[in-house]
Amino acid sequence: MSHDFLQMHLKAVISCLLIFLYKVHTTKAGQFFSSGHTNNWAVLVCTSRFWFNYRHVANTLSVYRSVKRLGIPDSHIVLMLADDMACNYRNPKPATVFSHKNMELNVYGDDVEVDYRGYEVTVENFLRVLTGRLPPSTPRSKRLLSDDRSNILIYLTGHGGNGFLKFQDSEEISNMELADAFEQMWQKRRYNELLFIIDTCQGASMYERFYSPNLMALASSQVGEDSLSHQPDLAIGVHLMDKYTFYLLEFLEEVHPASQANMNDLFKVCPQSQCVSTPGHRTDLFQRDPGSVLITDFFGSVRKVEITKDTINLTSPVEPPIQRSGSGDIQIESLTYVDQLPVAEIIHQKPKQKDWHPPDGFILGLWTLILLVFFQTYGIKHLKHIF
Amino acid sequence: MAAPLTLLLIVAVTIRAVLFRSSLAELISERVEVVSPLNAWKRVVEGLALLDLGVSPYSGDVFHETPLMIYLFHFTVDYAEIVFMVSPYFVDCLSCLLASLDRAKIAIGSNNLKSDLLFNFPGCLRHIISFSTCGLNNAIIALFIFCTLKGSALLSGILLALATYQSIYPLTLFAPALLFFLQRLYIPVNLRRSSFWCFTLQYAFIYVGSLVVITGLSFFLLGSWDFIPSVYGFIFSVPDLTPNIGLFWYFFAEMFEHFRLFFICVFQINVFFYTIPLSIKLKEHPVFLIFMQIAIISIFKSYPTVGDVALYMAFLPAWSHLYRFLRNIFLVSCVLLACSALFPVLWHLWIYAGSANSNFYYAITLLFNFGQILLVSDYFYAYLRREHHLTHGLYLKKKDGTEATLVLK
Repeated sequence: MSHDFLQMHLKAVISCLLIFLYKVHTTKAGQFFSSGHTNNWAVLVCTSRFWFNYRHVANTLSVYRSVKRLGIPDSHIVLMLADDMACNYRNPKPATVFSHKNMELNVYGDDVEVDYRGYEVTVENFLRVLTGRLPPSTPRSKRLLSDDRSNILIYLTGHGGNGFLKFQDSEEISNMELADAFEQMWQKRRYNELLFIIDTCQGASMYERFYSPNLMALASSQVGEDSLSHQPDLAIGVHLMDKYTFYLLEFLEEVHPASQANMNDLFKVCPQSQCVSTPGHRTDLFQRDPGSVLITDFFGSVRKVEITKDTINLTSPVEPPIQRSGSGDIQIESLTYVDQLPVAEIIHQKPKQKDWHPPDGFILGLWTLILLVFFQTYGIKHLKHIF
Repeated sequence: MAAPLTLLLIVAVTIRAVLFRSSLAELISERVEVVSPLNAWKRVVEGLALLDLGVSPYSGDVFHETPLMIYLFHFTVDYAEIVFMVSPYFVDCLSCLLASLDRAKIAIGSNNLKSDLLFNFPGCLRHIISFSTCGLNNAIIALFIFCTLKGSALLSGILLALATYQSIYPLTLFAPALLFFLQRLYIPVNLRRSSFWCFTLQYAFIYVGSLVVITGLSFFLLGSWDFIPSVYGFIFSVPDLTPNIGLFWYFFAEMFEHFRLFFICVFQINVFFYTIPLSIKLKEHPVFLIFMQIAIISIFKSYPTVGDVALYMAFLPAWSHLYRFLRNIFLVSCVLLACSALFPVLWHLWIYAGSANSNFYYAITLLFNFGQILLVSDYFYAYLRREHHLTHGLYLKKKDGTEATLVLK
């Protein structure tokens, strides 16, 4: 009897151990695959136009920069900028958008791909991008081609109020429309998990109405509060960033693709002491624990890494090509990167305008003749008055 | 004489300076009655800018000034206003001089100065602030007349060459100048006398020689003969048909190509044609002949402007003693005043309002030139009549004792 009991107990222990091990194993593996997404998308929207809303473009471009740095490619980013600040005629430093004063960080460059620009940034286009109901002629770069295993980051910035966000100074999107759009996305299985960040005045009002699962939302200010801008730059003449996104950018600069920072750290970004406004967040619709959600789940791109502890021998290295002497005269130079032309040869400068001067012979001849005629008419006697 | 003249000049300078600075200057400098393609200041500036860029200013149809003008304006392009303010003075001084010369003949008081200013005003006013080089051309012609009257054959020949070099038409002034010198030197105008030919050849040599020297010198300025087709070819062949106060543009705008050469020749000969007959008629009165020639040039040249009109109008006070013999003075002054007023009106109606067409403007051009011709012929009649009265007395009687009138035939 005790043997049976012992056997049973042993079995139970072993099974418990096995289950425990399995659980551990699955939690480890589960942790590795717990997010459930296979690709990442980002929809970054700046809704403000005009030069004095420089900071909204800088906000969006900072998030774009971080997202791209952490691995999301341009093909998976839908960037919508309502105005062109880099080439704005009021920009004293053209082709730049700075996010730090004293021009420390230029978030613009020739690797910024804007998908919706200028007047294309409308409420209708934004909602069509989210829901996927675009005309068939829309190019791929303008589509959100997400599936049910996509984690999507949606970042909105601009001027907002209680329950709405202003687009282009002419129309607005309400929080209900946004919630319905996300429900459409859920119904069409267009996202696995969605992180919604909004940096506007009274931003928390925009996520009040969400009702779809797997949504996490952050806002820069509560209802009744204004989100404030961070620093003006005296050379450029406008505020460069908003406070919330500035500190978000600082936080994200710390994050690298292998970082284990989680959402709880993100919620702590920009407390009231720094931001003046109270950032808010909403996680009740999210099924996972925010502490287990990595920043890179939304801001970075998923990398499936196979860990192996074996050493692998690569094939023997390729031998360098045999130097053919051939005819000793001709020395074939090894192909190097083409030498760049000096800038002055590329940029044709306007030829410096040389003032035309009459030839000396002409002046000489003319004045000799004039003097001759003068003396002929008035006689030589005037000569002594000159010399 | 000197003090009133100085005062007059100061007043004139002030008025011109005020007008230059006003916004009227820009308005007037674009009017077609005032600037022509030959003498527009805008074209001079354009030509100098082309030169600074290393391109010959004669390439293209923009610049039609002579190289000596390039040389002159190269230094004064910033001080253009001063040049334009100074150059019409020559015309003023000359007309005063003419008046004073004739004073010796007729003994009229110094009210000539006032009439001189009065005559200067309507004509000169428009053209002085027009920023055209017409003022300089007029100044050269005025200087030429001055030197002729003073008796210096060398200077007169050189200045006439310069005036011809600028625009070809002063060539016709060779004959009156020659006649004046012959009269001065008491050489009778007899084709068989060797003294006549001697002096004629001398004068012609001075004239042609200086013309050749000036042309050669202007070749050396830019190193090419481009200026000859650009300046003289332009004057003769009239390619630019912008409306002006002359007669060429309308006619040649509707001309068929194969008649064009014929009519160019006809129109240009018209300018030179009156020289010989007038010289024969007025061989004892070369000063009046100069006036007539200048008037004919101003009427019949290919691109006349009000500047040319102002040139011979400035000399009218010298013949103020002919006033009592003028028959059409009221008609002529009314016609000229009315046309001056109607030119801008019809231009506006044609170009801007679109309710008139080129025929309206051409009609006013015709009327204006008709008025000018009437004025010139009226003065001609008055001069000849006065000469007749000088020899035959003031009250003419026919053979049967009744009063006679003189008729110009």
